[in-house]
Amino acid sequence: MRELTYVEATLEALDSAMARDPSIFVVGEGIGERGGNFNTTVGLYEKYGPERLCDTPISERGFVGMCAGAAMTGTRPIVDFMFLDFILDAFGELVNQIAKMQYMSSGRLKMPILLRGAIGIGHSAATHHSGSYYPIFAHIPGFKVVVPAIPSDAKGLFATALQSDDPVLFLEHKSLLFNRGEVPEGDFTIPFGQARIAREGADCTVVAIGSMVDKAVTVCEKLAEDGVAAEVIDPRTIAPLDTATILESVHKTGRLLIVDETFQPCGVGAEIAAQVIDQGFDDLDAPIRRLNGAHVPTPYSPPLELAIVPEQDDIEQNIRDLLAE
Amino acid sequence: MAYEVTMPRLGWTMEEGVFGEWLKQDGDEVQAGDLLFTVEGDKATQEVEVFEAGILRLSASAPAPGDVIPVGALLAYILQSGESMPAESSQAAPADSQPGQEGTVPQKAGVEPAGQKRLASQRVTADGRGTPAISPRARRVAAELGVDWTQLTGSGRTGRIVERDVRAAAETVVEPVGVDMSPVARRMAAEAGISPEELAAIRPGGRIQREDVEAAIAARRQPVPASETAAQVVAHSRIRQITAQRMAESARTTAPVTLTTEADATELVALREQLKSSYARRGLAVPSYNDIYLKLTAAALQEHPVLNASWGDEGINLHGEIHIGFAVETERGLLAPVLRNVPAKSLRQVAAESANLIEGAHQERLGSDAMQGGTFTITNLGMYGIDAFTPIINLPQAAILGIGRIVCKPAVHEGEVVPRQMVALSLTFDHRVVDGAPAARFLNTVREYVSEPVLWLTG
Repeated sequence: MRELTYVEATLEALDSAMARDPSIFVVGEGIGERGGNFNTTVGLYEKYGPERLCDTPISERGFVGMCAGAAMTGTRPIVDFMFLDFILDAFGELVNQIAKMQYMSSGRLKMPILLRGAIGIGHSAATHHSGSYYPIFAHIPGFKVVVPAIPSDAKGLFATALQSDDPVLFLEHKSLLFNRGEVPEGDFTIPFGQARIAREGADCTVVAIGSMVDKAVTVCEKLAEDGVAAEVIDPRTIAPLDTATILESVHKTGRLLIVDETFQPCGVGAEIAAQVIDQGFDDLDAPIRRLNGAHVPTPYSPPLELAIVPEQDDIEQNIRDLLAE
Repeated sequence: MAYEVTMPRLGWTMEEGVFGEWLKQDGDEVQAGDLLFTVEGDKATQEVEVFEAGILRLSASAPAPGDVIPVGALLAYILQSGESMPAESSQAAPADSQPGQEGTVPQKAGVEPAGQKRLASQRVTADGRGTPAISPRARRVAAELGVDWTQLTGSGRTGRIVERDVRAAAETVVEPVGVDMSPVARRMAAEAGISPEELAAIRPGGRIQREDVEAAIAARRQPVPASETAAQVVAHSRIRQITAQRMAESARTTAPVTLTTEADATELVALREQLKSSYARRGLAVPSYNDIYLKLTAAALQEHPVLNASWGDEGINLHGEIHIGFAVETERGLLAPVLRNVPAKSLRQVAAESANLIEGAHQERLGSDAMQGGTFTITNLGMYGIDAFTPIINLPQAAILGIGRIVCKPAVHEGEVVPRQMVALSLTFDHRVVDGAPAARFLNTVREYVSEPVLWLTG
């Protein structure tokens, strides 16, 4: 099968949908002629023109609010935040308007808005360009939160997001954007709330999120040489969360590690652990472990940056500790 | 479903409110939108409306005017007809939770004898933390495979028994110690914390059986002080809770005064004997003394309507009809079914109806309506050999008549000391509702009627 980068995969899905559906348009900084800071809209300006690829000033709250209004009128806005960190400037519009509008209108108004941005730590982007924040959005009722880990998932989930009548946060880790992988041609969708088993195994379950999936798979391949069969699960969407697949895996293995770059307190790992304790207590053979990025603002210094992100060695040590419990 | 009436939050910062008063009474039918009670604020008294229609039932912890109540605290229930009040704050017996013990002692169905549990908690393993820790999964697998994990050594990081330990044990039938024991004996010994070596000393060389372990457990249990084994909490039954609530409320809110007197029941006894033989001959329900007292009391209440009354916030409610409740002791507790319109009924009807009510009370098939609406209550402790006592008023009624045993003793009758059948009468009345003199006049009338029952039963 042909290979595409992660960002090319989403671009393919976006291009196809825009060709079909004239109500889709993109707003953001540098997404017009420039084609997006991360190449998310390369070539689309030439095809669809400035009205559907609308460059904006630096005014997140303004254009997010505008897109919320546009979505209510029946269009499909895509807000491209470039770095997701700047979504925080529009937090009030997101939580108080976008997430609640369908509820407040008793379903009479839809909110088909796609909010995308690059997340994650890497490349010394420093503290204002390294955030992920998805646990915050998964906490709010009304949002779908998507964190694809591989190019083919990025394409299929992006296509699903473009069909959703609910607001979707589509979060692309910077370190994944230019990874290559096999991507099917033509249109296809991957449903939200369906985890992917990235690697099968019966000794322990590793739930890895976003950029941690590839790292976990690499570590587990290495551990297989020592006779350890670890299963790696990529939830693909945080909201909705596929707890059934995780529970199924823990039923098999009895041991669970959750690897996530975002902060540990009140995070996705805590939620998964609580769900497993709640519904799968009798399957647990060991305490649930979590491995997270450090609970600190992201440093600029490359060695410090490296130190706060879970790396392969950390994952390996955590799996070994989990098996020794 | 029972709708809970709670203390509302009347402002963002309000955490508790001063309860004003009920604007509806316990048992009242309420409509959505009715004003139910008042809450006293800093400057004004606010009336709180109810959002649900039904019957208002005050909870056991219903507040009194002036009580400071936290926001959200339960005040009352709104029930639908036929619905009973949910049991409040079911105070489960406090678990005998000893740190480190929960989840590590093998759980048996039913209650473990206190002594055995105590001994089990004393069992110490190599790591000094009591019985070994086991993962939930290992515990589940052990149950599936029938492995007695209490004898296993855990291979987890902290000595926890994990799944692999249980599976290993299931594969190799291990005899952890060189003592020959039956499986049942081994399990019992493990649960009781008695080592196989200890048992081997009892029966050297022989196979340890269940009886040997039981004997060892019994021998150990003896030194346990009685005070530790006797601790027991009987959970409140519904009737206990309601009785406690009613009695406490009555004791708290009424101004009770008890008057006692003695009536000459010689004629009453003679009448009862006569009725007994003639009713029984015809296969009719024989009127009990209680039935006769019901009729006589009703007649006295007709004479003194001020006693057939109840306290209301607006004023004294004088009841037009006479419905008399009578206390019935049942296995579940005290019940007071109500006999309605007593004056309108013949003694024969009263006897038949009260027999029905008593049977219903014993068989737990009396509806709550059969126990409501009384205007006066009689309680008879004569059958237990009691003379005078101080009954507690059955709210909201004004008074209750306690009847003692009928006892033959010397009395002055027509100027001579002769043996007479005497009965003590105890009237407790609420001094809020009625004063001493009218209450005394009423009791005196009852006394007269008891001594000349024929006159008043036929009147």
